[in-house]
Amino acid sequence: MLMPRRVKHRKQHRGRLTGAAKGGSTINFGDFAIQALEPGWITQRQIEAARIAMTRHIKRGGKVWIRVFPDKPVTQKPAETRMGSGKGNPEHWVAVVRPGRILFELAGVDRDLAKAAMDRAIQKLPFKARFVVRPGTNGVAEVEV
Amino acid sequence: MAEITLVAEAGRPIGSAPARRMRHEGRIPAVMYGPGIEPLAVTVVGKELKAALTTEAGLNALLSVEVDGQSHLALAREIQRHPVKGTVTHVDFQVVDVNKLVAADVTIGLVGEALEVGHADGVVDQQLFNLPIKAKPGHIPPHLEVDITDLTVGGAIRVSEITLPDGVETELDPETVVVQGVPPRVAAKVEGAEGEEAAAEAPAEG
Repeated sequence: MLMPRRVKHRKQHRGRLTGAAKGGSTINFGDFAIQALEPGWITQRQIEAARIAMTRHIKRGGKVWIRVFPDKPVTQKPAETRMGSGKGNPEHWVAVVRPGRILFELAGVDRDLAKAAMDRAIQKLPFKARFVVRPGTNGVAEVEV
Repeated sequence: MAEITLVAEAGRPIGSAPARRMRHEGRIPAVMYGPGIEPLAVTVVGKELKAALTTEAGLNALLSVEVDGQSHLALAREIQRHPVKGTVTHVDFQVVDVNKLVAADVTIGLVGEALEVGHADGVVDQQLFNLPIKAKPGHIPPHLEVDITDLTVGGAIRVSEITLPDGVETELDPETVVVQGVPPRVAAKVEGAEGEEAAAEAPAEG
């Protein structure tokens, strides 16, 4: 599963999830992509589950890019522990996702297969997301107003 | 290349709130700049802009922008889009001189079918989608085509193999890969799995 090799600080603040994606909102590598429509945290397990769902449906051929990396540690206190005594232990890693963020990209397959594969991957995500196509290809207009 | 006429309105209020109101009314805020003209804040009608930029000439269409009774030859640059909706939120119009070279990015399209890559269950991996070129405004090609019929697994087509029209040049390294035939995923997966194991062995510590 994806996780940082080494970090400067073991624990982080939770932060806020307001606004839309500031970058990473355009398709840069493949022809098709999954775009987040809501803010949220995506865990390393969810990323892996989505990737597996996609690649298993494609069966052969195709190339997948993962455009998010879970670099934020999430802590949890052990069960039945009294409050206090400091912050809990790092349990897993998440990527912070804001609306518009491209999560996965796919190339080397036709549109129907890409749509079917990515619809399966979207089921593994903790927020609403949609299938998008690179503008200017597959009959999608380059400019939308 | 034929010019496309686009009417712009000058004297728009500056700021995010007026810009948002304009977008609700179907107008898109824009700015116009270039040699011989002071930077000018303008607006254009969204539908007209879409029509102007969805011709055969594509995003590099040579526009004749009419502002306050004056006409300027311009190219649409820095098209800003909404991160979720993908709609255009702002455009730069760069006034150009038809006799001077300008920089532009031209879309690279793949033509043909890479049969050999298909037989080997490989993937055609396009690495360069836009080629930065320099040309006179009227000579910017709408798109460039790369024939991938002879592409093989492990083979690549480079920038030097693209035939550019007369008067068009690129400063990109000729050895830059445009498209390559990638072997099937099985081999790549084994490599990826090893990397994952190595990452798992060295857990992140503060």
